Amino acid sequence: MNEEAAIIEVRDLVGRYGDRLILDRISFKVHPGEILVVLGASGCGKTTLLKYMLGLLKPASGSILYRGRDISEMDEEEFGKLLRRVGVSFQSGALFNSMSVAENVGLQMEEYGQMDRDLIDILVRMKLSLVGLGEYGYLMPAELSGGMKKRVGFARAIAMDPEIVFFDEPSAGLDPITAAGLDKLILDIRRLLEVTMIVVTHELLSIQAVANRVLMLDRGRIIFIGTIEEAEKSSNPRVRQFFDRRPDKTIAAQDITV
Amino acid sequence: MNNSLEGKKSKSASRVSLSGAISDRDGARLLEEVSEIVSSGAKEVVIDLGNLERLDSRGGAWLVRAVRQGAAAGAAVSLAGAKGEVAGFIELIRSSFEEPPAHEPFRRGLFESLGEKGISVWKEFIDVCRLIVDSVYWCFIAPVEGRGIRWKGLLTELYEMGSRAVGIICLLNFLMGLVIAMLSAAQMRLFGVEILVASLVVIGFARELAAVMTGVMVSARTGSAIASELATMTVSEEIDALRGMGINVTRFLIAPKVLSIMIAMPILTMFAFVTGVAGGFALGIFSLGFTFDRWWTQTVQALTLGDLGQGLIKSFFFAMIIVMVGCHNGLRVTGGARGVGLATTRSVVMDIFFIIVADMVFATFFYFFT
Repeated sequence: MNEEAAIIEVRDLVGRYGDRLILDRISFKVHPGEILVVLGASGCGKTTLLKYMLGLLKPASGSILYRGRDISEMDEEEFGKLLRRVGVSFQSGALFNSMSVAENVGLQMEEYGQMDRDLIDILVRMKLSLVGLGEYGYLMPAELSGGMKKRVGFARAIAMDPEIVFFDEPSAGLDPITAAGLDKLILDIRRLLEVTMIVVTHELLSIQAVANRVLMLDRGRIIFIGTIEEAEKSSNPRVRQFFDRRPDKTIAAQDITV
Repeated sequence: MNNSLEGKKSKSASRVSLSGAISDRDGARLLEEVSEIVSSGAKEVVIDLGNLERLDSRGGAWLVRAVRQGAAAGAAVSLAGAKGEVAGFIELIRSSFEEPPAHEPFRRGLFESLGEKGISVWKEFIDVCRLIVDSVYWCFIAPVEGRGIRWKGLLTELYEMGSRAVGIICLLNFLMGLVIAMLSAAQMRLFGVEILVASLVVIGFARELAAVMTGVMVSARTGSAIASELATMTVSEEIDALRGMGINVTRFLIAPKVLSIMIAMPILTMFAFVTGVAGGFALGIFSLGFTFDRWWTQTVQALTLGDLGQGLIKSFFFAMIIVMVGCHNGLRVTGGARGVGLATTRSVVMDIFFIIVADMVFATFFYFFT
């Protein structure tokens, strides 16, 4: 993995909500085909970082580059094309309530794929079977449990065989069996389809199972980036605290920003 | 890739080999090839994946389609020779190769759908009755029993439903007064009794227009707000959270709305009455050329307390319709964003419909029985 071949590069990203500084000059690179796990305490800016990387928020300063192209220099069409090669699975699924599960998963295929109906049906069912919901395509999102919604969101994210997938807390709130299944699926997809993944999570077991590299955020700064083995041996007290699951003296002491 | 497809045919078993990667064109040709082989009488088709280098979901879907198509025509289609990542991917999507059990939606006959409709209307009716009884209890009986009213909620609602609506209601009714006065003045002129416009406007507003116009405006402003607020709370499980905390939803959310709309509506109707009549004054004095005194005398002579009472009683009932319809629709919502939209629309349509129906019932009653 050489330095030049970064698929995504974040340079000096500063993110704010109003006056509150959420991300403070963040720089890192994502290499093709790796699984980068972004972790950190609740409210440290993980999801916000994801939103900046997806262009959903405009950075106060700094830039985000996909294969060397700055997304702020792209016009809408180019950025749209880029996003079609990107899959996102949001924290609570973000399913469209007015569409059935199958329609949710097949939406992008219908909009962009130029595929016939039969092929879309097969693909939708294939993706739903991968997350163990092959039989449930006809249900509406309101009829699903929280964990099922999350899995449908996952299936929707990988619907178009994207090159880059962002997962926002894929396994939070799932039972250990399903969570382990999703971890395995993440690894399988990465191996078989050569997908680059950025996974936001704070499930320790999940991190140990899937991560190639981890990036740890604390109060808007990167305090660690490196392999999982290095992270577990790190001497940084915050990193140690995270992996040893030790509480702060008081939770209020850490100035939580959401 | 081009030329990735090769077909070999024999009597019983036939092979089709794929190489490179499967593009959409290859996939379509694969389907043709398989159906050709099957129609020539072969009972077994082997798709040889030995030279396939890459397989993505779309290619996988073509394979699934070929296998299923063969199976549907009575031939066994098998995949052979897959290596490395291709084999891994096929293993991953293994379950897709079987024909899915079709999900048959339950079909209803005429009587079943009629019966279902009837039951749902009946259930809804029961729900509404329950809501009304609950609201009456928490608005009027519970406070007497010392179980309290949420004064803070009541004041907020009063400000939102009442004070903030005064401006638009006054403007609307002033314009309506002008319109009615102009409409009737044109007719009265034919008989030379333009002064009767003053009577017509004041009686019209006292009995009908003030209450109905206010009702329509309040249902659009407040009825929709109540429905969408409660619907959003239902969808995002806030209502469940309240119930889970042992807080009575009717007392906490609905009673303040019911009380405040019952106070606000008659007052708003009075504002509407006054401004509507003022609209008539404006036309009478500035356009028809009457003096203020003349118009005023005619107005006061025409108006009876009974007319005004009719309007106020109606406005009270309209208020009940608006708040009950809004709460009912808000609480019965299912689904997400779309459900909220539907509930709001339904609530405003029902408000206006029931307001007009109630108005007709009142008008009939006063016309035939007084």
